[in-house]
Formats: sequence, C-alpha cells, structure tokens
Amino acid sequence: MRISVMSQMQRSFSIDLPSLIPLQLPSRRHTHLWYVIPDEVKSTSLLKRYSQLLSQTEKDGVDQMRGDELKKNALLARTLVRTTVARYQTNKEVDPRSLMFKKNVYGKPEVDWQNCKNCNHQPLHFNISHTDSLIACGVTVHVPVGIDVEDKERKIKHDVLAFAKRFYSADEVNFLATIPDPEAQRKEFIKLWTLKEAYVKALGKGFSAAPFNTFTIQSIPGTEEGYSLCKTSEVTADPLEETKKCNGEWKFAPLELADSHYAAVCIEDDQANEGAPMRVIVRKTIPFVEDQLISERIFL
Amino acid sequence: MATSFSFSISMQARVSATTTRFCLQKPASIFHNGKTNLSFSQRHPIPARLAISCAVKQETVEKVSEIVKKQLSLAEDQKVTARTKFTELGADSLDTVEIVMGLEEEFGITMAEERAKEIATVQHAAELIEELIQQKTA
Repeated sequence: MRISVMSQMQRSFSIDLPSLIPLQLPSRRHTHLWYVIPDEVKSTSLLKRYSQLLSQTEKDGVDQMRGDELKKNALLARTLVRTTVARYQTNKEVDPRSLMFKKNVYGKPEVDWQNCKNCNHQPLHFNISHTDSLIACGVTVHVPVGIDVEDKERKIKHDVLAFAKRFYSADEVNFLATIPDPEAQRKEFIKLWTLKEAYVKALGKGFSAAPFNTFTIQSIPGTEEGYSLCKTSEVTADPLEETKKCNGEWKFAPLELADSHYAAVCIEDDQANEGAPMRVIVRKTIPFVEDQLISERIFL
Repeated sequence: MATSFSFSISMQARVSATTTRFCLQKPASIFHNGKTNLSFSQRHPIPARLAISCAVKQETVEKVSEIVKKQLSLAEDQKVTARTKFTELGADSLDTVEIVMGLEEEFGITMAEERAKEIATVQHAAELIEELIQQKTA
C-alpha cells in the first residue's frame, strides 16, 4: 500500500526529483533556522525542478518580480518554505506540492493543514525573511515564531539617528545616540531593526498592533546576547513618567548568518517553557541537494 | 481597471489630468483555500468620502516613483507605474519605511507608521500623500 502511494507520487513528478530527507520536528524549546544562499544555487535544471513545486499563485508571484535575480529569489523563498515544511511531516513522504498555505486574519502566512491531502496536522509554525543574498525560514512547534534578516553592509539612505527618532522608541534612540562611531551605530541600528521586525512578525497581528515606537527591545544587563521587550505606555504628558512594562513573554535570539547577515529570531515564551533557555539550530541548505549544520546556540 | 494609470512615467504627458477612481486603501486580494479571490470590491465597500475625494495627480505619482527609484537604486529605465508594487521591485519593509521618510520630506507630511507600512503600490502612496496634504491644508 505504501509502495503504491509512493510510486504514484513519483509518477506525478514530471522530472524525477530525489526524495526529500525527512526531519524531526523541533522540540518545544528549539527553533530551527534554515537558510539558502541564492548565489550557491546555479543549476538551471535544479531551478526548473523547484518551479514545479510551486502553486499557480506562487508562480504568478514569481513572474511578477522585476528582473531575473528577484524572480530567482522569490522562487527560492517559496521552495525553501515548501520543502522545509514537507520534510517535517512524520511517517509519510508528503509531496511539497500538496502543501497549502493561507493567511491568518492579519495577513500572516500559515500552513493550511485542512486542505492538504496526506498531511498530518502538526503544531508547526514557520516564518520567512529574505534579502538579496540570503533567504531564511524559521520553524518552531507550539509557539509562533518571527524572523528577520538584513545584510550587514546595508546602507541606510537617511541619517540613522533621524530615522530612529522617527520610528524607534525613545529609549532605543538614546541607546543609539551613545554610540560614537557612525559605522558601529549603523550596525546597531540594523540589529535593532531585525529584533523589532522579528517581534512584530512573531506577534502576527499586522503592523498596527505594534508600531515600532511603542516598544523597546534592549539588552539584558549582564548578558552578551540577551534581549528583552519593554512596552512603552502610550499617552503620557510627561515623558519622564513614561512607564515601561517589561515582560518575559517574548524571547529573542540575535545571530549572524554566513558572516554577511544579521538575523533575529523571536518566539513567544510558552507557559510550559517558563525560564527555559531558547535554543536555535542553524542549518544552511540547498533543497534536494544538501544540508549543512552551521551552529547550535543557546540564548537565555 | 485603472487604465488611466497604465502608461509609464517616461511618457511626457504633461496634461495635469486628475482622474477619479475608486481608491483601495488596503491590499485587495483575499486568500481562500490558497487561491486568490480577485473579486475584492464586494467585500470592502468603499466609504463615500473616499470615493468622491479620491483623485490622484499624475504629478504625485511621478514624484513618488522618483523617490522609489532612488531608494531602491533602480535603473533610470526601470518602468515604475502607479500600479507597480514595491515588493515586485525587491523592496522589503526597511525599504518601505525609508521610502516613506523620503515621501514625508518631499511632501512635508507625516504618515502614521501602521499606514505607511501597508503601502503596497505607488498608487497607494500617492493616495495617502494627497489625503494627508488635504488634511493639512483643510
């Protein structure tokens, strides 16, 4: 019975694709972070195979992108999501093409388990982010996840402090203002951007739920990479009385990927996990070709 | 739809034509079972105020396109029209926010962050700008 299902799936591939190597779901405290470097995917036949995995809507989306490089990156982003989610399916080889996706009421993409044939409903959450030169996908179970990646060398066209004053919280502006070297300041600005974006994406309620100036992400004193989220209260006549509510509900992991990118992962702290450190396993991949374990890090 | 804005910026159409059309402030597509439902107008009735006052000047569209091109370092001959989506040009959220800052400087307005981040096309940006300018001068 299993064999005939598999051969039926193989017949449905018009070009023979190797099978996807299955993956174990992350445990509750883990985030799996996968990334692809577009420059490392050069084979046109491989890219053709990837395009066969996409739904018509996704293919249309790829076609709308202006220019070959943007089209390729859009293709790789959808391929990364489909193949990664398919690999976590337990006990069956799920065709990545049969996965269905939908958006929650605020527009955050999710797996549509109900409409996927042969899929097991899993408490799997994912989020993607990409730049010109790197595409990443984070996966968790039971808790929502948000990720953001930015090129370390990304130039901000406006004055960094002016930008921060316009969009970031007062405490974050003060922090950036204390950095004397403009290069170092730009880097911290970008790191902060990835942390803030990761939070908003993890929250999954759209931009209006968490405007950037309504929350501060700041280092936890005494830690090198610990960050916490503090909400600034909204309407205060006296800025000195601005009350902050810092909670431990959200956990952050700032990372560097491929020496070229800053990345941030944000997950909601599960009640069951309270106090437990956050673990991020980073792997580089070329779908159907290879995986490479890059690092396994703990964040307190 | 929106045939009046489908010509590219490179055309020297200096007639300052304003065309009234329905403005869509929110992204139009609705996902259902993974398929895009393109019949958007029924789901989101347009408030009368917006329908009547929603005219966008070609000049605004051009200025927005210039700022977008500059922010994304696009080639001069890259076609950017009112309907062009920022994402199609490779813009991410940081680009969108920088574009908004450029628009605020150019037009002397301030956009709320939530609305700014939801701008998807040149047309959306132009509509929001003109709405804010009108509010300022009102």
